[in-house]
Amino acid sequence: MRVILKTRPRKKPHVPIEAEGIIPQNFLRKNDLTVYEGNRERNLEDLFFVTVEGPAVSPDQVEIILTGDTGRIKRVGEYMNAGRIIIEGDIGMHCGNFMSAGEIIIRGNADAWLGREMRGGRILCEGTAGDYCGAGYRGEKRGMRGGTIEVMGNAGDFVAEYLSGGEVIIHGNCGDLPGVEMRGGTLVIGGNCSRPCGNMTGGTCMVIGDPGELLPSFRRNGSTEVEFGGKKFRMAVFRGDVANRGKGTLLVKEEAIISRSGRDERL
Amino acid sequence: MTQGILIKNAYVIDPLSGIRGEIMDIAIRDGRIVEDALPGSEVIDAGGCLTLPGGIDSHSHVCGTKVNFGRYMSPEDMRAGRTSRKGVMHVTSGYSVPTTFGNSYRYSTMGYTTVLEGAMAPLEARHTHEEFTATPHQDMLANTLFDGNWSVMEAVREKDVKRAAAIVAWTLAAVKGFAIKLTNPGGTEAWGWGKDVSHIHDPVPYFEVTPAEIISTMIQANEILRLPHSVHLHCNNLGVPGNFRTTLETMDLAPPAGGDRQTLYLTHVQFHSYGGTTWRDISSKSEEIARSLNSKPQVVIDMGQIMFGRTTTMTADGPMEFKLYMLHHNKWSNHDVELETGSGIIPVYYSRKSLVNCVMWAIGLELALLAKNPWQCLLSTDNPNGAPFVKYPEIIALLMSRRMRENEREEIDPRTEHYVPLFALDRELDWYDIAVMTRAGQAKAMGITRIGKGHLSPGAQADVAIYPLKPDNLDPSVDYQQVMAGFSRTLYTIKRGRVVARDGDVVVEGANSTIWTRSRVPPEYDMGSDPEFTRKFDQYYTVRLRNYPVQDVYLPRGVCIETEAAL
Repeated sequence: MRVILKTRPRKKPHVPIEAEGIIPQNFLRKNDLTVYEGNRERNLEDLFFVTVEGPAVSPDQVEIILTGDTGRIKRVGEYMNAGRIIIEGDIGMHCGNFMSAGEIIIRGNADAWLGREMRGGRILCEGTAGDYCGAGYRGEKRGMRGGTIEVMGNAGDFVAEYLSGGEVIIHGNCGDLPGVEMRGGTLVIGGNCSRPCGNMTGGTCMVIGDPGELLPSFRRNGSTEVEFGGKKFRMAVFRGDVANRGKGTLLVKEEAIISRSGRDERL
Repeated sequence: MTQGILIKNAYVIDPLSGIRGEIMDIAIRDGRIVEDALPGSEVIDAGGCLTLPGGIDSHSHVCGTKVNFGRYMSPEDMRAGRTSRKGVMHVTSGYSVPTTFGNSYRYSTMGYTTVLEGAMAPLEARHTHEEFTATPHQDMLANTLFDGNWSVMEAVREKDVKRAAAIVAWTLAAVKGFAIKLTNPGGTEAWGWGKDVSHIHDPVPYFEVTPAEIISTMIQANEILRLPHSVHLHCNNLGVPGNFRTTLETMDLAPPAGGDRQTLYLTHVQFHSYGGTTWRDISSKSEEIARSLNSKPQVVIDMGQIMFGRTTTMTADGPMEFKLYMLHHNKWSNHDVELETGSGIIPVYYSRKSLVNCVMWAIGLELALLAKNPWQCLLSTDNPNGAPFVKYPEIIALLMSRRMRENEREEIDPRTEHYVPLFALDRELDWYDIAVMTRAGQAKAMGITRIGKGHLSPGAQADVAIYPLKPDNLDPSVDYQQVMAGFSRTLYTIKRGRVVARDGDVVVEGANSTIWTRSRVPPEYDMGSDPEFTRKFDQYYTVRLRNYPVQDVYLPRGVCIETEAAL
């Protein structure tokens, strides 16, 4: 089954839409889905042109395609457990919260909190992602626990905060403090970032670009070689965050450290 | 309101009036209980359901800066307990530290009409009073912290009880507080020097006074001022294995009672009844504590029961919270209040798999079961430190049903029974005991029976809770599930002659009052004109003395209990 949701023109296009109902399992049966526009409850048909093609007997046969002005739609794919959502443009905050299986493909950019507290499945963002991509909720001690998030462009600050399982791959640059408070899982940053992995206690983070000045609470622990994007890199291995009695692994390109200090002081 | 209410066929237990379960009618007019109802009164048929005076919580943390800090350091707590707007009810959220309206509605639907905030730092009284007005379905009282008050400690050092009493009188009137609260006396001040006090004869740095001296002096000051409540004490060494000795020594400090109430109120005693030397060999010493309690009618305690699950601990006991932080390595907040006190907050999870937590859980219940006189051991969880107050019905059911305790025994750490006497106790409390432990005992201990709290005799405030429980055809030791459900949700909660909650929904906008005390002292004991006291403000405080008192506008419906000090 293919469900095509095309946004209708709105008088106030900046008013956010909370659409946690847009998940494949909800379209199996014909039911009256509602979403919130600001603080008003609306029928799905009031805000979208809905086209349904073909049948489906289980949620994994459902594919939802969101097109039009989708940049202010929040919480799409929340608690999704099967099927696929394809977003042709940008998507608002909290896309793929708590998702446990299935796939979300975003052709444009994603706003903050992409895949927050995700448990499984896969999110691919072809543009850039906002802050807190693959992170936890405010105050909570565990963030994303499983699944994969791949961002082809850049991401904002606090990527994979409290990551405790799964994999986050950012091909571009990250902002400040990626992998902060990480306790498990894998974070790969293809570009640059600053202050990676503060307070980490577990998991692995790899920075292919320039990590800036590393936090002083990471201890050098040998070298290794990794492959990323078909190229091989010589990486320095750090353990930390020792300030937090952490046993995480941070891999940073050997040249990045030497070029910064002229020599490798940590050797 | 002039119309009045007539409650018919109520199964009334009113311990203060000596009524132990009689079917009777209750007439209400103008917010008071009266002999006869006016013709045309609204009739409520209770149909033989349990009818009690409105519930009173004598130790709870629901308002003030500390609670609010608990709210903003645990945003994840607000993910639980969300309710949307419904009739007059505001949106609420939060579980262990809910919004003020959340607290108020949940208390109200459980039949509680009066709540004492366990610890208000005098300097932060304005915030507390503002939150009181946003807790509209309970009359509120504020225990005022004096544990690390510099002026008080100096008076203690000079052995000048009268000056200590004068400082208390001025401060209570200034901040519209209700009673004296001592939290780890001396310890929180020592924490300002990076230390703690380890027993009650351990001197506080710089001030060179001991906790025992502070407690004794404050008890005397309290009696000089003739305050309605006694000194409300959170003992030293909270949560330290082996601390039961400190607690026993502290109980020995209480002088015999002169009047009809206790001279020392010990709060959350569960946290103070540990044997052993480390967390590995912690054991229950509830029997020793209960033995001492049973021989001292001048002491009243509350349980401070813990219940398994998530909650937030908050107390003015800064050093204790730091010790907890060192155990959990979770979030921690610590706060210093100028010349007065401090506080600490951390979120915790009490687990059935943790032996220590299981022992703690058992101790609270043991205290209630071993105390011979229910008037001396009141029900509390030290909300939210032991558990949020919404767990009270579960605690009541545990106390009333041995079978429920046995069922719980299967769930908890199997080693627990080697460390606690709980499972050897057959006692099951009855409805009367519960009525004492949840309202009458509190009213008596707090000395607010005289303003009509905690009883249903003519002239009393018309605070009534009708529970969907029929004691005549219900065996609490078997039907504990029903007991739990019944105490969670009243049929009617009536406050000051108005039905405020029905079947779990709050039905009116509330309007509470704040009860505070003022002791009249001779002019020479008025600290407002004392040069040394004023100098403290000029030299150390961030506010001047004249700006310190809370203005009347913060108490839209203040009720003042005036006493004549014997100075």
